[in-house]
Amino acid sequence: MDILISNLDKAYDKGRRPIFSNLSARFESGKVSMVLGPSGKGKSSLLNLIAGIDTPDKGEIFLGGTPVSGMDDSARTRFRRRNIGFVFQSFNLIPVLTLMENITLVSQLDGKPSGGVQDRATALLTAVGLGDRSGEFPDRLSGGEQQRVALARALVNDPEIILADEPTGNLDSETGTEILELLCTQASDRGKTLVLVTHSQGALAHADAVFTVSERQLVAG
Amino acid sequence: MRLGPVIRTCFRSSRSHPLRTGLLIFGIALGVAGVVAIDIARTSVSKSFELSTAALTAQATHQVLGHDFSLPQSLFVKIRTQAGIHKSAPVISRTVKAQELGDGSLTLMGIDPFSEGEFRPLGLVQGMSSEKLRQTLLEGQGVILSGSVARAHGLASGDTLTLVLGEETMPVAIGALVETGNRMTDGLILADIGLAQMLMAMKDRITRIDLILETPAQADRVRAMLGSGQVLVETGQRNQTIRGLSGSFETSLSAFSILVLFMGIFLIYNTVSFSVARRRTLTGIFRALGATQKDIFLAVIAEVLVYALVGSALGLGMGILLGKGAVQVVCATVSDMYFTLTVSQTHILAATLVKGALVGIGAALASALAPALNAAQTPPVTLMQASFFEGRMTRLIPALAVSGLVLMVGALVLFRLDRGGMGLVFSGVFMIFGGASLLAPALILALARSLDRLAGTGPGRIMAKMGIRNLRRSLSRTSVLIASLMVVISVYIGIDTMTHSFRQSLITWVDGNIGGDVHVASLDDRHPALAPGLVDRVTSLPGVAEVSAYNIHRSFSRQSGEVHVFSYVIDTSKKEWIWLDPAAGDGTGEQTARLLDQGWMVVSEIFARQNGLVPESAPQGGMTVVMDTLGGRRTFRVAGIFRDFFMGGGRAVVSRKAMKTFWGKDEITAMQVFLFPDFGNESGAIAKTMDRIRAVSDDPGRLHLRSGPGIKSSILAVFDNTFLITTALQVLTALVALTGIINSVMALILERSRELGILRACGAEPFQVRTLVLWECGAAGFMAGLLSLPLGLLLSWVLVDVVNFRAFGWTYDVRMAPATLVMALGFSTLAALGAGWIPAVKAAKIPVARALRTE
Repeated sequence: MDILISNLDKAYDKGRRPIFSNLSARFESGKVSMVLGPSGKGKSSLLNLIAGIDTPDKGEIFLGGTPVSGMDDSARTRFRRRNIGFVFQSFNLIPVLTLMENITLVSQLDGKPSGGVQDRATALLTAVGLGDRSGEFPDRLSGGEQQRVALARALVNDPEIILADEPTGNLDSETGTEILELLCTQASDRGKTLVLVTHSQGALAHADAVFTVSERQLVAG
Repeated sequence: MRLGPVIRTCFRSSRSHPLRTGLLIFGIALGVAGVVAIDIARTSVSKSFELSTAALTAQATHQVLGHDFSLPQSLFVKIRTQAGIHKSAPVISRTVKAQELGDGSLTLMGIDPFSEGEFRPLGLVQGMSSEKLRQTLLEGQGVILSGSVARAHGLASGDTLTLVLGEETMPVAIGALVETGNRMTDGLILADIGLAQMLMAMKDRITRIDLILETPAQADRVRAMLGSGQVLVETGQRNQTIRGLSGSFETSLSAFSILVLFMGIFLIYNTVSFSVARRRTLTGIFRALGATQKDIFLAVIAEVLVYALVGSALGLGMGILLGKGAVQVVCATVSDMYFTLTVSQTHILAATLVKGALVGIGAALASALAPALNAAQTPPVTLMQASFFEGRMTRLIPALAVSGLVLMVGALVLFRLDRGGMGLVFSGVFMIFGGASLLAPALILALARSLDRLAGTGPGRIMAKMGIRNLRRSLSRTSVLIASLMVVISVYIGIDTMTHSFRQSLITWVDGNIGGDVHVASLDDRHPALAPGLVDRVTSLPGVAEVSAYNIHRSFSRQSGEVHVFSYVIDTSKKEWIWLDPAAGDGTGEQTARLLDQGWMVVSEIFARQNGLVPESAPQGGMTVVMDTLGGRRTFRVAGIFRDFFMGGGRAVVSRKAMKTFWGKDEITAMQVFLFPDFGNESGAIAKTMDRIRAVSDDPGRLHLRSGPGIKSSILAVFDNTFLITTALQVLTALVALTGIINSVMALILERSRELGILRACGAEPFQVRTLVLWECGAAGFMAGLLSLPLGLLLSWVLVDVVNFRAFGWTYDVRMAPATLVMALGFSTLAALGAGWIPAVKAAKIPVARALRTE
């Protein structure tokens, strides 16, 4: 699923703090795209806008040809949970849910029957090396393990797009590399569009395309 | 570090959440308002009582009374001339109503203008000398009324006042208006004694003689003048006896005041501790930057103190408004049940306001103490980790549960202490609530686990599971919320079960004692005797199965003031015995009748209490009681004590023979007519029977006929009115509950905004987030409701068996109303859902991107 951003404007603090100005970009389907840039320049904001978590002041975002910015909040949310998987820097697992419940959360929110989802979740947990810990709660896991669960959660619904916001930012370099490889492999193997925001130079090896946020624009290369 | 920046930041943090800060202030205000309102009601009744009795007794130190509240006027002359007591005044006194003055009761007081100078300040009649006043009374120009009362009803001197005595009406002219500068005379209608005797058909008799006696010798001289059945009593002692009755009611108001106070403290603790917990991270940052423990402690206390001052001021205003309403209700109750308060005045003591303010400020500071110390003493690094507090809470649960159980057992021991005063009882109530609150976290944990399992798995269940688990995760905060809701709901259950039990017992008593289909009495209560032969004629009427005829005689007793002595021709009442003398066997009609014929009496529970008859310590030889009779003081053996809700106070039942011998009364004053069931069930049977009774009466115009169902409903109406104050308390309870939940849930939502953001980012729609919050609130409400059921029933037992018994002398069984329990559970859940609605809507609208940035 292609991601097309067209003439996008976004500012915070009632327009006093502009982040993007007339930004246009395209993330190709099935490719791993990496977004680089200094802190505070809008990398996370860009992912939020693509995911429909935030809305642009102007311009449009098309996901697989569907204009998501014009949708109402509920429609955007439904579109997100069916088509987008999100991996956060702080893992963001729900502490009161077990690993299995965290992974199946998105499907449950979508009202899907639990049978097939459970099987897929079990397979994903096994794939990330935590197959025997599905009944545990997140607070028993290390940071790397939590991020693996978050990765499994992002993939469980088989979304066309995966957005990862500095997924290695809270991990040591060794674990970070492992997670990055896992993420890129899983995305590539499944033909997903992966947009990865990161500071990690090691990630460049996995990237099909690299973008840099600069001067309120997204510059290729 | 200087304190300024810390305090300033605390206030700024509160200012950024105006709704929560407002709710905290409102919570303090509600607690204060409840305490102030009940205290105003209590002190106002007290003051109204003083004013009502002061107008009647005025300067008199003693009174001469007849055993039947009537004396020959000649006795006054004898006391004045032969005993030489010049400070004496004959008085006629009777409670009446006046059509022009609404429903309020007044005292029609017949006085002798020449004797009054020493007793009542009649010289204060506006624009009128004492001489002129005497003229007004003596020349029969009419009665004297309080100027303020007259003006309030658009009356002036010369207008007509229609007095209502029982069922009779009598027009009298208003001769003058009195202006005393206080409200003492508001409940009085003054008349010349001659006019009063005429109005009340008392011929040459008077109600009492007021005396100012300066030496014991004078008292002895008066006693020497008295005939049998006439007694000299000290005014203070008599007032105290009457006061004792309504004092019991006021004691029960104190019990309610304690309940309100406890709820108020709990609510304040709930809101303050949430407020402090919410700022743990901020506190941690300050500590890390160099703020000392003392700085943090003082900053928290200073902030709470400011809110406590504002909340208390608001609460005082609300309390005064609520109190004014409560005074009317409570005065009406005291008038209905104990003593006619002819003056009803809202009396606000400075002490009440100080007490209210101290409760608000003290409770807020006490509530802030633990969280403030906690925040100050915890290392900065752990202050920034909510999980540290939850871990500590989990470790504390067993110790809290054990302490709770110890407190509750201690309270039960206190209730069982025979000689425990009301102070101990109230301490026990506090301990019960405190114990239950300490026990709550353990129970909440267990309940949450069970509900989690019950929630099962599958689409749609995830929000329920999350909501329930969130309660467990934030147990240090949610347990305070659930415990405070539990306390509030248990108060609702306790009061409702108490009133339900009382109402059911009252219905049983009414059915057993005054369950006749038609009640017959004299319309003219100055001549209460029914015509001789009427009983036989009514008995032979078609459809009449049975007639219970009796004499009710209002008698004076030194020990208990007014006593109603009953003697039955046939006693059809079904008595529930509290105690029986062994000679009375199991208290069947024949056994007690036999003892009554031998000169024994059976007495009501209240009479027994007034006369110090305690079944548990009944002497070997049986219990006896001394009564003032026509022939002087006489000792009666007591055959039994029965449960009674007769509203006229204590009641004694004697045989017809004893009534004639000792009180000189032989006539029949009332009868209950029982119809055959198949006839009684026909429509119009009661009206038809009333017509037939009138037809066989020589003087049908004098008959006062009332239907049994009508009497029953009017008694229940008085009862319901009595408990209006408790209804008001329940409304207050609901308000307290709602405020507490809204405040707490708002705080929890604020704390979890990042988590809600994650949920939304993962694909939860706004309605799903709303559902999550509502599940959490609903589960909290349900758990609080569930936990409140045993606590509420325990409280109802305390109110019925301990408070009511020690305060009123009434005993009745606790009757559990399943509807009350279901409603409590439903109310608790729905209230929590209702209160959670605003936070749920807010949570659903949370800006996702911003929430995700929140750490």
